[in-house]
Amino acid sequence: MLFKLFYMITFKNVTKIFKSELFTKPFQALDDLSFEVEGGKVTGFLGANGAGKTTSLKILMDFVRLTKGEVEFSKELGNTNHEIFQNIGFLPERAYYYPHLTGREFCYYMGGLVGLTKNEVNQKIQQWAHKFKIEFALDRKVRTYSKGMLQRIGFLVTLLHDPKVIILDEPLSGLDPIGRKELKDIIVEVKELGKTVFFSSHIVSDVEEVCDRVIFIKDGRLVYQGGVQEILDKSDSLVTEIKYLENERIQTLEVSSSLKSQKLQELIGSNKEIVSVNNKRLTLEEIFYKV
Amino acid sequence: MSEIKKILTISKFTIKEVIQSKILFNVIFLGLFLLLITAIAFKFTYGSPSRIALDFGLGTLSLSAIGISLFMGISLISNELESRTIYMILSRPVKRSSFIIGKYLGLALVVLLNIAILATLTLSVFVYTGGDISSLIIFSLVYILAEALLMLSLVGVLSLITNKVMTVILAITIYVIGHAIAAAKTTTLVKITPALAKLLDFYHFILPGFYKLNLKDLVLYDQKVSDLYIYGNLLYACLYIFFLTFLSIFIFNRKNLD
Repeated sequence: MLFKLFYMITFKNVTKIFKSELFTKPFQALDDLSFEVEGGKVTGFLGANGAGKTTSLKILMDFVRLTKGEVEFSKELGNTNHEIFQNIGFLPERAYYYPHLTGREFCYYMGGLVGLTKNEVNQKIQQWAHKFKIEFALDRKVRTYSKGMLQRIGFLVTLLHDPKVIILDEPLSGLDPIGRKELKDIIVEVKELGKTVFFSSHIVSDVEEVCDRVIFIKDGRLVYQGGVQEILDKSDSLVTEIKYLENERIQTLEVSSSLKSQKLQELIGSNKEIVSVNNKRLTLEEIFYKV
Repeated sequence: MSEIKKILTISKFTIKEVIQSKILFNVIFLGLFLLLITAIAFKFTYGSPSRIALDFGLGTLSLSAIGISLFMGISLISNELESRTIYMILSRPVKRSSFIIGKYLGLALVVLLNIAILATLTLSVFVYTGGDISSLIIFSLVYILAEALLMLSLVGVLSLITNKVMTVILAITIYVIGHAIAAAKTTTLVKITPALAKLLDFYHFILPGFYKLNLKDLVLYDQKVSDLYIYGNLLYACLYIFFLTFLSIFIFNRKNLD
């Protein structure tokens, strides 16, 4: 079977300079950033706080205008902005929504904007609400929702119009471990439905767990893009942990596997007692820390 | 799905959000306050209690409509940005112009509802105390609505270019000057200072003359007003509201939502 790669979103040499204040220095948030989001996969968008993830997503959604460069969407999403946005579901970071509407009313509102009738919205609610474990709160006002419940209703609303591409800005932040697990399961389920998921996070372990691909940026520049497994295999991710006794205390040393023998000989040569030697694979998080 | 339908959806849920937020409760308190003040005024008035009722009623109505327009106008965009709902809406196939028109339409209908409740109360007391409803009284209510909508669209534009505090300060300043400018032009100081007169003329040309939308004194003293005056000023208000709405759309289309 011939497998053809296709990109749903392409960022081409995007630069963004903010010059909002009169007497302050312009701030460059993105610097010649280029990356691609592959169709049908879950792509994690990684970077520390302030790396430029949210700015990139805001440029992608046309909330913020870019200074230089270009953003392209696949023709599969449509030719006009109207068609493209009909096929995208976006969840902003830390949203509070309309506090005086109920969760259900909020769904009707967002569904109404993409042309869904009340009945169609109700069908979608039935399909997803139990998975998000939010059906018990749908008739409560949004202002009574906890942070986790706000994320869940926001994610549900993002899926209402059956979009082909789902873009999530820090969907797992502020959630407890169970909540994170449940939302990660839904991300995987959504991918299995053939959707493209692109989500930003500064928590590498979440990305490692659910993503096929990862885009890592730092100070507005691309550091890495590619498969998660690829980076784990490519990098010097196999390390050896050597524990030895020194001054009656156990010391730990981590060395790359290629240097294991040399280090062991050095330790034995200097009369150190070796306690244990273990091979260990670095996590994606540890690899990015090294970067 | 047509843009009209999206505009109507946005305005429908804007009204719902405002009504469910119980902001309009203040209208009920104002109504009760109005009844109380009118009852007290009766005790100290001789001869024309209906005029007193009308005077208090139209005054309260006008202030409440301006207050609600100011309060809702400043949060037109800022609340949506703070709660990040604007990102949810604009990530759907909704034009920025449709969002602005939908919000304005929803808030305008809330202002209309506010005026309708207080006007019903005012006119009931007026009729109960022996007054006759003239066409000029009805026009004065329409003028109060036009003045409030003009304020709403002015605040909407200001809120797009500055912060909340500055929006309130600028809007109140423009409103007060807009009411005082006609009287200011007749003062001796202005008459003998051509530069000042020119400055006022320039101001008058650029910023809204709210004094044109004040029929209350004419109603209270039962003065005759020409149709040209009535419809001319209404046309002025409508054109100004349209201009400010287009200006809001123009600014919002170019605004970075960061």
